[in-house]
Amino acid sequence: MVSSEWQVVWACFASRLAVSYLFPSLQQQLDRTVEFSTPVTSYRSLQEGAYLLLHNLPIYDGGVVHHVPLLVALMAFVQQAEFLMPVLFAAMDTLIAYQLMQIAKIYQRQLQIPSYIPGVVYAVNPLVLLSCVSQSTCLFVNLSISTSLLFALSRQFSLSAICIALAGYLSPYAYLLLIPLAGICGSNSFGLVVKCTLVSIVLQLISFKLNNDNWNYLTSTYWILITFSKIRPNLGLWWYFFIEMFEFFIPFFKSVFNIFVVSFIPPFTIRFNQQSFYAFVLCLGWITLTKSYPTLGDGGFFLSFIPFFKPIFGYLRYPVISTLLFIHAIILSPIFYYLWIGLGSGNSNFFYAISLVYALAISSVIVDLTWAMLRIEYDSGKPNLSLKLTQI
Amino acid sequence: MRLQNWIPVLLLAAIVTAEVDFEVNPVDNETESVQQDVIDESWNAEPGESSRITQSSKFLSLEHPIEYNFREHLDLTPLPNNFLLASFQFYMQSEPFGIDRDQHESSEYSHHTVFPKPVGPIMSQTNTRQLHLRFTHGLWDSQEWGQLPHNGLKSGGTGVELWAIVEAPSKEEALKSWITLANSLSGLFCASINFIDTSKTTFPVSSFLPKEDEAIPLLNQSNHLYLMRATLANEPVCTENLTPFVKLLPTRGKSGISSLLDGHKIFDSNWHSLSIDVNTVCDESTANCHFVMEEFIETVVNVPNALARADRPIPKPLPGDELRCDTNRPHDAFQCFPLPQSKEVSFSISKLFGKKIRGGSLLGEQSSKICVHVPSHWDVMIQVDESYFATDDNCFDLNNNKPHDVRLETTDSKSVLPSKKTPIYVSRALTGYGQDRGGLRSVFRNPSNEAVELVYFESLPWFMGVYLSSLAIESDDPELTLDSVVKSTFYSPARDRERPTHLERAMIIPPNTAFAISFQFDKSLLKYAEYPPDANHGFEIEAAVAAVLTPERYEARTSSLLLSLSTPDFSMPYNVIILTSTVMGLAFGTLFNLISKQLITLEEADKILASTGPRAKLLRVKAKIVNMLQGNKNKIIKSAKYE
Repeated sequence: MVSSEWQVVWACFASRLAVSYLFPSLQQQLDRTVEFSTPVTSYRSLQEGAYLLLHNLPIYDGGVVHHVPLLVALMAFVQQAEFLMPVLFAAMDTLIAYQLMQIAKIYQRQLQIPSYIPGVVYAVNPLVLLSCVSQSTCLFVNLSISTSLLFALSRQFSLSAICIALAGYLSPYAYLLLIPLAGICGSNSFGLVVKCTLVSIVLQLISFKLNNDNWNYLTSTYWILITFSKIRPNLGLWWYFFIEMFEFFIPFFKSVFNIFVVSFIPPFTIRFNQQSFYAFVLCLGWITLTKSYPTLGDGGFFLSFIPFFKPIFGYLRYPVISTLLFIHAIILSPIFYYLWIGLGSGNSNFFYAISLVYALAISSVIVDLTWAMLRIEYDSGKPNLSLKLTQI
Repeated sequence: MRLQNWIPVLLLAAIVTAEVDFEVNPVDNETESVQQDVIDESWNAEPGESSRITQSSKFLSLEHPIEYNFREHLDLTPLPNNFLLASFQFYMQSEPFGIDRDQHESSEYSHHTVFPKPVGPIMSQTNTRQLHLRFTHGLWDSQEWGQLPHNGLKSGGTGVELWAIVEAPSKEEALKSWITLANSLSGLFCASINFIDTSKTTFPVSSFLPKEDEAIPLLNQSNHLYLMRATLANEPVCTENLTPFVKLLPTRGKSGISSLLDGHKIFDSNWHSLSIDVNTVCDESTANCHFVMEEFIETVVNVPNALARADRPIPKPLPGDELRCDTNRPHDAFQCFPLPQSKEVSFSISKLFGKKIRGGSLLGEQSSKICVHVPSHWDVMIQVDESYFATDDNCFDLNNNKPHDVRLETTDSKSVLPSKKTPIYVSRALTGYGQDRGGLRSVFRNPSNEAVELVYFESLPWFMGVYLSSLAIESDDPELTLDSVVKSTFYSPARDRERPTHLERAMIIPPNTAFAISFQFDKSLLKYAEYPPDANHGFEIEAAVAAVLTPERYEARTSSLLLSLSTPDFSMPYNVIILTSTVMGLAFGTLFNLISKQLITLEEADKILASTGPRAKLLRVKAKIVNMLQGNKNKIIKSAKYE
């Protein structure tokens, strides 16, 4: 590893630790914001799970804990030394930055940028930084996903299968990434799926045992993502829709929203099967847009892959609009949320409007990247920016 | 409409038919019933009903009138600051019935005498063995007034509180019976008790248990007993709830102390509580059971206010000469400083309650009794036929059916019987701001010199997501830890829309200590149809119950809380559906186009468009038409040529 990469790693680790220890109350404050914490990722509810576990109280019988048993058990184990939690989260976040740099190394020839750039972008990305400080458990998922991706790209498919199974165990949406991952693996994809299934079964069995031979954790950890039974404001498309929807149509629209999540995963994989890594990133973006409990941590993780699209930056049609939409959503969402919840001078529509802007921002990025991918495919890898293309 | 919503209607119908059956079946042969009727009627006797009156005198002149298991008792206790606690107590008992009978035969109900007719069928239909119902409103000032009457065991938290012990083969069956019970009581008491569902029901484990000496019978030995409890904190207790209470009494408010009960007076008070307890008591040796019912109606009135209201039903300013002015301070004809309330008090309860007592009930083994609990310098007299009587113990028996009145006089109304200190003070408050989360803080204070052992029962609605891990104790004494105070915890977390959070803590409060226990919670958003019409008013959180076990059995309740939830915009459903769908459609449509369409250069596109586009199609159609027209023209020209 070159020294510049080491510097990025240390800077990343140090910045997260510094923020955590310099502003000790920041973790709790961020954990309470709807942008960085949802019922399924909040650190508070993980702590609650650990508390219930340590006091022999039912964990999944109620409506507060939505974390998988292994995570709760880990938390209960680590909670003895709570001051080390920021170190753990900072280390995990740094590991993601390091893995991004490793991925950049694999694509070094095509990328035309130094391999430390994705690491730097990840380290300074405020969304990821704050998500790490808030100790949101989506970091576990992101780490598993990036590890799996790195292993797949470096052709260690067994490890990749284990990691994606772990990610899927933590958040079932990651199982959808198995499809683009299979695209990366090519002919090894059958083995990948089989290994992933086996590891998942093992993980579920361990959880079953950990949860006193009880399957009830499945409902409160996975089923809730599909049924969206815990209605809390977040930056996604689901929450306000299902508050306002007429009771009669709710089952229908829940199925529509769930199909919507899956809808573009196979098409991306098939359409960009030559560029399977990029198909993977686009799928990641699509899940971030459509999942039921998104956080800014997910969005930040997706945006960290943007540097890998460096060769096609020239093709982007509206990067300025996308950037402005993001800035707009990220700056206004806490303000509008506070106007609604804290001051009462605004109402829910304010925050709802912002969640729509955020959805527009992500979708415009995905659309723009897709266009650019199609464009470079047409140019067979040699950018010809002057050529005007259209679709019929 | 769900079936559940029909249950009260059906049950009500069932009860009405049952009653009609009774009215239709002539019961003349049963002297008991007739006599009861006659006594009821005798007060309403009109001159035209001479035959009835002769009949009544015939029955009343029996040497040994039949006596029922009915007892009534009125306790009057002046409280500090010119308040008066009036406690109406009625005890009644049903005739014994066999326990192996078929409970659904309506003819079985003929055993009702003084026991209210509607209660028996409800109890047996839902297999309820014990029933406790409380309607309470107002503030009991335990600092000034001391302990709640009957050690707090007969008063609930604000609103309606219901708990029952139901015999059932399984928990599901018990819940079904419980919902049926709630629905039938709702019809009986004119209250919204039918709003009790599983999301409000708890199964208490160590509070609300029956007393040690109460053996609850199991009619079917393979069944189990289930204790269930629910409250409706937002239920207003009002005059329409009193009428059904009075109707349950054999005297129907026409004689005995119940003739004092007037909704306008009972509810014009600082605190009032209506309670009903029904028990099934069985004698194992004879295999016979009977119902025992206790009905208590209690009210705390401010005597000067109530008297003023009686004098001037329409509030008007006092005339100048009736004003009590402090002449030591600046005053003139129009304004002055008022004197403190007079210590000299004399009033009769007919003025407080608006009517006189219409004699004793003359139904029971014991005559109706009125007791006034005052220190010796109070004069208590009972007035019958313009003559006054007094007794040593200030207790009076009402042995005839003449109008009675009780008069209380004193020169120092400040000194009353010392009130018994409450063993524990508990209060609870919401903390935090913002509508997405908050905290709950309960303050316990033990003023006595001995440790108090209690069970603290809390039931919180499901939309409060409780974080038990945030449980903390605040105290001046750093030695005091949670573990030293809380001996054991029962926790059943809330499940969304299914059941409430149920917390029961066995605690020991050390002597002369005060501390606060707090925890944090998240507020959930509801679906827009789940909000009540006045969504911004907030949601009432039911009172917590502190059931003291030692040094004495006592129950204290906190006040109920008002929790405000964030609300969506109720006018938005269509807009939200449209806007969200637009954004989703935009993303989906654009991506679908991008992925499914072919990429070509603009020039190629122009070419293709030139041959296949709408303009090209239009041109082709035009050309065809032109061709056709031209063809016709040519034909015409040709034909013209031939001509």
